[in-house]
This record gives sequence, C-alpha cells and structure tokens, in this order.
Amino acid sequence: MDPFSSPSSSGISSGQSVPSADVLMDQLKTQLAQAYAEEFFETVRSKCFTKCITKPGSSLSGSESSCIARCMERYIEATGIISRALFNANR
Amino acid sequence: MDSSPELQRFLQEEKQKAMIAEMVGKLTSECWDKCITSTPGSKFSSSESTCLANCAQRYLDMTMLIQKKFQSMQQ
Repeated sequence: MDPFSSPSSSGISSGQSVPSADVLMDQLKTQLAQAYAEEFFETVRSKCFTKCITKPGSSLSGSESSCIARCMERYIEATGIISRALFNANR
Repeated sequence: MDSSPELQRFLQEEKQKAMIAEMVGKLTSECWDKCITSTPGSKFSSSESTCLANCAQRYLDMTMLIQKKFQSMQQ
C-alpha cells in the first residue's frame, strides 16, 4: 500500500481508475433501457389482465392465452399509433 | 478529464428522451382504455385505430387550450 492512500478514505485504491464518461454513459443507457422495458412489461400485464382474465378459473384457458397474446400485440401496435400521431402533429 | 460538457449534453438528451417516453406511455395507457372497449382481436378495427390516433391529437389540442387559458388567467 502506498503512503498516499488509506483503505478507509475511499473505496478506490491506487491503481484503479474512475470509470470513464463513455462507460458511465453506456451503463446509464443500459439501465434506462431496462427501466423502460420493465415499465412497459408492467403496463401490458395490467391491461391484458383486465381485458382477458375476466373470470379467473383454476387454470388459464386456451382462449385466455390467445387473448393475452393478441392483447400484447395490439398494445404494442397502439404504442406505435400514439407515437406516430404525436410526432406527425409537430409539423 | 474534460468530459463534463459531454456528460451534461448526454444527460440532457436522455432526460428529453425519458420525458417523451413517459408521455407516450401515459397516453397509450389512457387512449387504450378509451378506445379499446372489447376483447382485443387479431388486428384493430378501423374505428379503434382511428380512435387511438384521434385520442393522441386531441390530447395535444387540449394541452394547447389549457396553456392558453392559464396565460389569459394570469392577466
């Protein structure tokens, strides 16, 4: 251990470097993408449960499963329609 | 390490993107509730897709109306 660092002052010992801005930006982008995906997943889950599981049975029926699959596709499509409508309005 | 302005720019950009993503997410959620009233099919009916597009545009119209009203109320 060199005389200029002490183990308790910081978690960084001599020889290690602070992450570069590029690494930080990449990490942030990854975390943001993950957060968006999680939120989207949660929204789709909630919407499709509402639309497709109206009377919960002792297992998922075939019609409930196919409803959920369609619901997911439609919700993704709806997101596209809304995005396009919002950005085409900014003429 | 003179990365600070670059990092600032990046953070600004990501903040903008996050605001847009949140608006799209919220609008899609509300317009879905308003427009998709029956069990989802294998494609949208034309009235459903028209309703969704209308919903987004009316939301923008409403936003401008509210802004104008606020401005006139502050006089």
